[in-house]
Amino acid sequence: MSPKSEIKQFILGNYLFTNDESALADDDSLLKKGIVDSTGMLELIMHIEEKYGIKVAEDEMVPANLDSVVNVTAFIERKLAK
Amino acid sequence: MSATLVANLRSTAGRTPDQVALVQGERVVTYGTLWDMARRFAGGLRASGLAAGDRLALGLENSAEYVAAYYGTLLAGGIVVPLNVAAKTRDFEFWLRHCAASWVVCSAENRELLAAAASTRVVTTAGVAPGGIAFADVAGEFEEATAPDAHAPACILYTSGTTGSPKGVLLSQHNIASNTDAIVTYLGLTAADSIVCVLPFYYSYGNSVLHTHVKVGATIVLDDNLVYPHKVVANIARSRATGFAGVPSTFSLLLGRVTLGDFDLSSLRYLTQAGGAMSVATTQKLREALPQAQLFVMYGQTEASARLTYLPPADLDRKLGSVGVALPGIELETRLESGERCAALQTGTVWVRGPNVMRGYWNNPEASATALQGGWLNTGDVGHLDADGFLFLAGRRSDMIKTGAHRVHPKDIEEVIEELAEVAEVAVVGVNDEMLGQAIKAFVVPKSAGGVDVMRVKAHCRQRLANYKIPKYVDLVGSLPKTASGKVRRHELVERHSE
Repeated sequence: MSPKSEIKQFILGNYLFTNDESALADDDSLLKKGIVDSTGMLELIMHIEEKYGIKVAEDEMVPANLDSVVNVTAFIERKLAK
Repeated sequence: MSATLVANLRSTAGRTPDQVALVQGERVVTYGTLWDMARRFAGGLRASGLAAGDRLALGLENSAEYVAAYYGTLLAGGIVVPLNVAAKTRDFEFWLRHCAASWVVCSAENRELLAAAASTRVVTTAGVAPGGIAFADVAGEFEEATAPDAHAPACILYTSGTTGSPKGVLLSQHNIASNTDAIVTYLGLTAADSIVCVLPFYYSYGNSVLHTHVKVGATIVLDDNLVYPHKVVANIARSRATGFAGVPSTFSLLLGRVTLGDFDLSSLRYLTQAGGAMSVATTQKLREALPQAQLFVMYGQTEASARLTYLPPADLDRKLGSVGVALPGIELETRLESGERCAALQTGTVWVRGPNVMRGYWNNPEASATALQGGWLNTGDVGHLDADGFLFLAGRRSDMIKTGAHRVHPKDIEEVIEELAEVAEVAVVGVNDEMLGQAIKAFVVPKSAGGVDVMRVKAHCRQRLANYKIPKYVDLVGSLPKTASGKVRRHELVERHSE
């Protein structure tokens, strides 16, 4: 499964409690749409770290890296490419 | 004459009109502007027919508009009803109906609240809702004919209630203003202070941060939330804030996810912590990470405007685990079931009396009569006083769950889960959680062997409840442990979780 599909499935299953992919657009803001709160974001970060073996640094915890499926995927791919 | 909140804002704006009241991103609002906004809004309400005692439901995030609408409603003689913006239509419908709100102020993007506000006048920020009025258009000249009655109903704050159904805590300006004065005194707040505020103003803790800063003319730097914790810390460093207020989970999050030593936080003069007991370990870590900041541990209730006790920082080591002493002007005692006063170290129910104690619960004389007896408030909290008069809390009589900054009654969630046809019974409890203090767990008994889809339970909760009320854990069980009279043994369920 591609990181994009995997991240989307994770968000759908853990925050929206559905398998329906149409419930979340790839560029939906996780914060503005009320999908994650502070603990939800921590869970997402822990999931990314465990699943992809990368470390999310403090200064990387910004909306540009984490606020949508597109942003999270691009962030993971950038980190894996390093 | 008793102090009022509107007199506090008027006085601060008159004294220091150019002092910064609020900072939100790039937006800077002075006290002079804030006072003008509040007067304008009050004038608009009056011109549109708001009568004394009419209820205005305020469903905005922290912002200058929130503050202007809050103070403007009081100026116009209305009763302001701050609402949790994260709630769902189900809650909003109850609150609006219960307080018979004639006005709703919210963001045009808050569909859950707008859906509940069909029969009220709607004022919106961030655009105009169909049939609604833009916030900027609620404007008029405001002439203050007579000084407002400090003891008249001014604010209703809805709580989860200790027995399930939400209760509207009715406070006067005198209640809140007297508590404001006491807090200002023990924190030593002055116009030179500034705070980064992540607490929502619609809860009593955030409400007290707002009013104390307005009173002295200090600056409030608004920060969205804690989803990106290091941004909050960067904001404290950048704005040279002197104060920060949080609940235990706020501090756990900051300590756990941010290297505080990487930031220059030397400006921080004090920290306040309320909203439930913080572990000794977290308290110690916090003091080590920010040794220059005094830590004020505090305890209170919405029914008492906000604050009842505080632990002077100098006593923190000596009285670790205590929530401190009663604020000046507040009497506090512990009583046995019989009503007899407890001896030192004897555990009983905490009763309080003072100018900050609510007038009662809105439109709920029975609950008011239970909580208020002979001028005293039964807090429902259990604890003991030591020989020096320091209060140590041992818990609550009720089943209330404290999760993060929120208080949730199990019944609220149980009612929603029971709406599912495949559920026979459900019991919800709070279980220990390192970050949140307590996490929500639901034990569900399926109606038939077909079982219950856990994902469907959570999805249904998400549809009907604010996100923080969605159970983190859902366990399917064959039956619930009960007493002989049929009452669920919640304790047993909590113990079952930790096994």
